[in-house]
Amino acid sequence: MLFGANGPNSFIWWDWVDRHRDLIKDATFEHLRLTLIAVVVGFLLSGLLSVIALRYRWTYAPITWVTGTLYTIPSLALFVLLVPWTGFTTLTAEIGLVSYTLLILIRNIVAGVDGVPAPLKEAADAMGYRPVRRFFEIDLRLATPAIVAGLRIATVTTIGLVTVTGLIGLGGYGGLIVDQGVNRNFFSTPIVVGATLSVAMAVVLDVGLAGVERLLTPWARRKVAS
Amino acid sequence: MQELSLELPQGGLTALVGPSGCGKTTTLKMINRLIEPTSGRIEVEGREVHEVATHELRRGIGYVIQQTGLFPHKTIAANIATVPSLLGWSKERIKERTSELVDLVGLDPELLRRYPAELSGGQQQRVGVARALAANPPILLMDEPYSAVDPIVRARLQDELVALQHRVHKTIVLVTHDIDEAIKLADYIAILNVGGVLEQFGPPADLLRSPANEFVASFLGRERALKRMALLRVADVDLVTGPVVEVGASVDEAQKVMAEQGVDWIGLRDGDRLLGWAWSHDLDGASELRNVTTEPFRAWVRPSTALREALDLIVDSSTRVAAVFDDDDRYLGILTINQIADGMAK
Amino acid sequence: MGAIQDFANYAADSSHWWGNRGILHRSVEHMRLSVCAVVVAASVAIPAAMFFGHHKRGGLAAQSIVNIGRAIPSFALLAFLFPLSLQFGFGLGFWPTLVALVLLAIPPMFTNAYVGVRDVDPAIMEASRGMGMGEGQVLLRVETPIAMPLILTGVRIAAVQVVATATLGGLFGFNGLGSYIFEGFAQQDDGKLYTGAVGVAVLSFFTELAFSLVAPRATPWLRRDRRPDVAPLDVPPRKEVFS
Repeated sequence: MLFGANGPNSFIWWDWVDRHRDLIKDATFEHLRLTLIAVVVGFLLSGLLSVIALRYRWTYAPITWVTGTLYTIPSLALFVLLVPWTGFTTLTAEIGLVSYTLLILIRNIVAGVDGVPAPLKEAADAMGYRPVRRFFEIDLRLATPAIVAGLRIATVTTIGLVTVTGLIGLGGYGGLIVDQGVNRNFFSTPIVVGATLSVAMAVVLDVGLAGVERLLTPWARRKVAS
Repeated sequence: MQELSLELPQGGLTALVGPSGCGKTTTLKMINRLIEPTSGRIEVEGREVHEVATHELRRGIGYVIQQTGLFPHKTIAANIATVPSLLGWSKERIKERTSELVDLVGLDPELLRRYPAELSGGQQQRVGVARALAANPPILLMDEPYSAVDPIVRARLQDELVALQHRVHKTIVLVTHDIDEAIKLADYIAILNVGGVLEQFGPPADLLRSPANEFVASFLGRERALKRMALLRVADVDLVTGPVVEVGASVDEAQKVMAEQGVDWIGLRDGDRLLGWAWSHDLDGASELRNVTTEPFRAWVRPSTALREALDLIVDSSTRVAAVFDDDDRYLGILTINQIADGMAK
Repeated sequence: MGAIQDFANYAADSSHWWGNRGILHRSVEHMRLSVCAVVVAASVAIPAAMFFGHHKRGGLAAQSIVNIGRAIPSFALLAFLFPLSLQFGFGLGFWPTLVALVLLAIPPMFTNAYVGVRDVDPAIMEASRGMGMGEGQVLLRVETPIAMPLILTGVRIAAVQVVATATLGGLFGFNGLGSYIFEGFAQQDDGKLYTGAVGVAVLSFFTELAFSLVAPRATPWLRRDRRPDVAPLDVPPRKEVFS
């Protein structure tokens, strides 16, 4: 069934794949574009909110409550609810996608900074670090693993959610799945291709970010030799 | 904490000791304003600590803690250079200072490129001290620095601190719960009781000889005399001639000396050189003292040896005495238990 | 605004609440499917996770499962299963959606239960064995209660995800609240559209709410402590297995 006599009814009709290379390529770029915008904007916004939550502790609970609530709303529902205000546009999708990244990123950034051992922070203060400089040179740098972990999850999750935007008419792999597959009597090839490439993109970006983490944390790999 | 009044000597090491809850760490942290006192004044080198900006104050005070607090994401070199770079020193100056410090604390320069996780506990503590001294602060605060290392490493680090202090003469405030550590390291000890009550303040020898009250006495522990002995040296005590004769003397004279002193052994000397000792029965049948084979004194000390060590050697020897030699191995005299006891009583 | 008006109009109309394609029925169907999926997934994932966690093996597998599970877009999975289901005669609607939801629910439940059991203080386990408890008893009487907060967290995450994803099943004929959304699109009926969206959002809330109320009751011996919402694998753990 998979690679046997290949035709329109097979699992993957390679002929179709061949003929629609451009379509697939466009879908890939579109998917990537939507993902990156969401993650970057989400990260900046989360960064800001995290700093606020860290500086004014009492805001952490409300911030988490709001972002958590947003996170609970099913993606399609959220997109649909936004449509009357922002239409079937990239903006609609991005508002939704960014909202979903907030909870995980804020939580990880805050947990990461909190996770820096208190004696370390105290030692830094005792040596004469001023609060802002300490935050950037010590707290944030040591929170890198947690922050990158959050980015990885957010990225992978976003890639999955971008496929749902296909349902509100956007491109990406979701568009491929919906336009070419579901709407054409469940033609399986584009569905399989879209799904597989979506997973592949997630894996590649996830591994890529893991690599970035390794680059940013040279101290974590070295252990006592003596 | 209750009200506390203390004056710590400049250039010396003061230990703050006491049980948990006595406020010794709190007191320490008030010096560099990690904790703010609710009332009172704290002066460092004549200036009230609140007169300067906090971060400026702290850059002039070294701080060493139990967990080292080394920044895991910076190399050893970068860790040591922390305060100098905060102060804006030039790269060359930092590099020079770092080499100095590495030498001062006894670290292998090869370690500079490494990260803290790659070092052993003892090495990390040394880096902590180097880091604290980097900007050459006049004052060094240490909060139980050696509690987390094993006893062998701890003893070595303590010795290194003593040696370092001889070289740099910093004003050090050391918090510890280990009274023996305090006795070993400190020029002055402040014994604190729960609630920040100062029970006694003074040099270790004074505390050991005359504890102010029951609390201090029990805190100092048993065997206070033995502990005092760790602080006194052979040089502080008078020596005796003991049963030692010139090798040129006659066998009869040797036997007379042995009988007078009530011992069954004789020591032989040749001017400044101590040849050794022999049992009295080894003299039987000997015509000359020169012909007697002697054994070297296994228990021997120098004037700088601590009395406690000397006592340990004496008790373990066959002769029940120790021979004293100066740094050029010239024979100075005999040390007995009586001499030690007399010296302690002074 | 027009949208809110449309929604209000549709939802207020009582005829829309009854019958096979009414709000009530669809809500019930939606929850029925979700509960099914969670139960099935839990009965597969949790025992397996506890087994592996108890024996402290399969850490790499646990991390891979959660990574892959997160990477697979739920929508794509559904889209993929439906034609398969058709081909094998399981029809549209319930079964393929159920399978997709179960597959999606397994990773968070597995990971959390695994970490929860694995990270039980070994001193406690040793004490239990020392008292003469057999392995099975240790697992049941000691590890399970201690791991319960994390296990429930995993179930909660999975449940919310399931309720959300069941919405998408509407595209493929599953008669849950998602159908309102897709019918609303097709028929250009905004009222239906928003009814579906709001309905699903409300169901999600309630699911989350239900868990946050139940979970503390299941573990009365804990202080009212802020617990992390997601499995510790999300925040880099200190254990070597995962670095």
